Amino acid sequence: MYEKIMVASMGQYMDQIMEHTINLLKDRKTEIMGIYVVDTSVPFLTPKKVKEMMITELRAKGQEILDQMEKVFEAPGCDAIKFKKILAEGDPADEIVKTAENEGVDLIILGTGKNIVDKRLLGSVSEKIVHSSPCTILLVRTT
Amino acid sequence: MGALAASLMLVIKSADLFVDNLIEIGSSLGISHIILGVTASAMGTSLPEFGSALIASLSGSVDIGVGTVIGSNIWNIAGILGISATVAGGIGTSKEGLNRDWLMTLITGLILLFFMLFGDINWTASVVMIAAYAVYLWILIKSQRKKSESTFKPDEYFKKDKIPKENSVDKKKILFALLGLAGLIVGCRILVYSGVELARIAGIPEMIMGLFTLAIGTSIPELVVTLSSAMKGLHDLSIGTVLGSNTFNILIGIGVPALILGVPVERLSVVFDAPVMILVTVLLMVLIRTGNMELNRSGGIILMGTYLSYAIIRIFILS
Repeated sequence: MYEKIMVASMGQYMDQIMEHTINLLKDRKTEIMGIYVVDTSVPFLTPKKVKEMMITELRAKGQEILDQMEKVFEAPGCDAIKFKKILAEGDPADEIVKTAENEGVDLIILGTGKNIVDKRLLGSVSEKIVHSSPCTILLVRTT
Repeated sequence: MGALAASLMLVIKSADLFVDNLIEIGSSLGISHIILGVTASAMGTSLPEFGSALIASLSGSVDIGVGTVIGSNIWNIAGILGISATVAGGIGTSKEGLNRDWLMTLITGLILLFFMLFGDINWTASVVMIAAYAVYLWILIKSQRKKSESTFKPDEYFKKDKIPKENSVDKKKILFALLGLAGLIVGCRILVYSGVELARIAGIPEMIMGLFTLAIGTSIPELVVTLSSAMKGLHDLSIGTVLGSNTFNILIGIGVPALILGVPVERLSVVFDAPVMILVTVLLMVLIRTGNMELNRSGGIILMGTYLSYAIIRIFILS
């Protein structure tokens, strides 16, 4: 049923999300796509050079996160899993939904994310994805 | 008020235009990308404070100039880091970067207080301050060079098609840099003038206008960069922006005007504003250490409370 799965992480709670994914899927023949989205939005009045630096730093951070995912999903014991890395740029929720549509993903796995205070202050990528996802979503309760 | 807000926008956008094009010109002349990168991040957010302090001092409103610098530094740590840590839930730190930048910020504050104790800040103090900033830049460049040996890829920082051949400076860049500089000068002049007039109409001291209105206004770039990078998890950039800006504000923001003409010091600045600035710098480190090398939300709230207390005491009790 779930052959193409997308695991999305912005770095936080990654261990918990991957632990659940491995637990559920390690013996199944699946294609897992790890996705990290470089959030390119910056507030008005951010100096241009600083914006460029931020994006460069985020790209490096994203690459690091995807490499860590690769290590876990390609470790011995996960032989049935075929792993692919995707580094996208733009609005995280929009990019995750768009990539899921383009890649024909059957399931998106992500974390519930922040607590109530943080959700009010920062907004929630997970909540946005829930409302516009083209497929089933598994929300890992992160703590 | 309208002139103040409009000039503030002009100052911030002009500073951005000036730095961008200056960096592109430097790149065309073959100056190392590492040096340009370090300078861009050091100057990028601090030019509005520097411009206002310099223009204010040159036009005779020295109180507003000194007030803008000291007020910005207190606001940067207690206000901006306080807000950012509270909203983002915490700002992590890396030991090496924090120790270097924090220590420099503290030393800078102590240098300023030391010279303030002797009365006006004259050219001797100015030379020491500018030399100290040159040393700090050198340390930053050295550290960036060390880091870049393993990770830095110039092409990622400067897109290939954007790197012009050496010695072929685009005239457009020079024009835009000059436009940025002109905008910065005109904007700062209007900003200082409207600040002085607003203080006169409202019957408040120019120092208060500098310490709060202009200080917070010219620190808008620091606020947006610190807050957004904390929210994106770019903790080093977040805390580095504030500490780097505080060092620049004093050593260059007061150092350069003092080289041109002596900067008189108000007694209240020596006994209250400058010590508060040093106190919040120390408080920041205490909060980070107690938060296991992270400025957490409680720390952010404590910093915001400290700023609020300072503002109330300074505006309503001491003025």
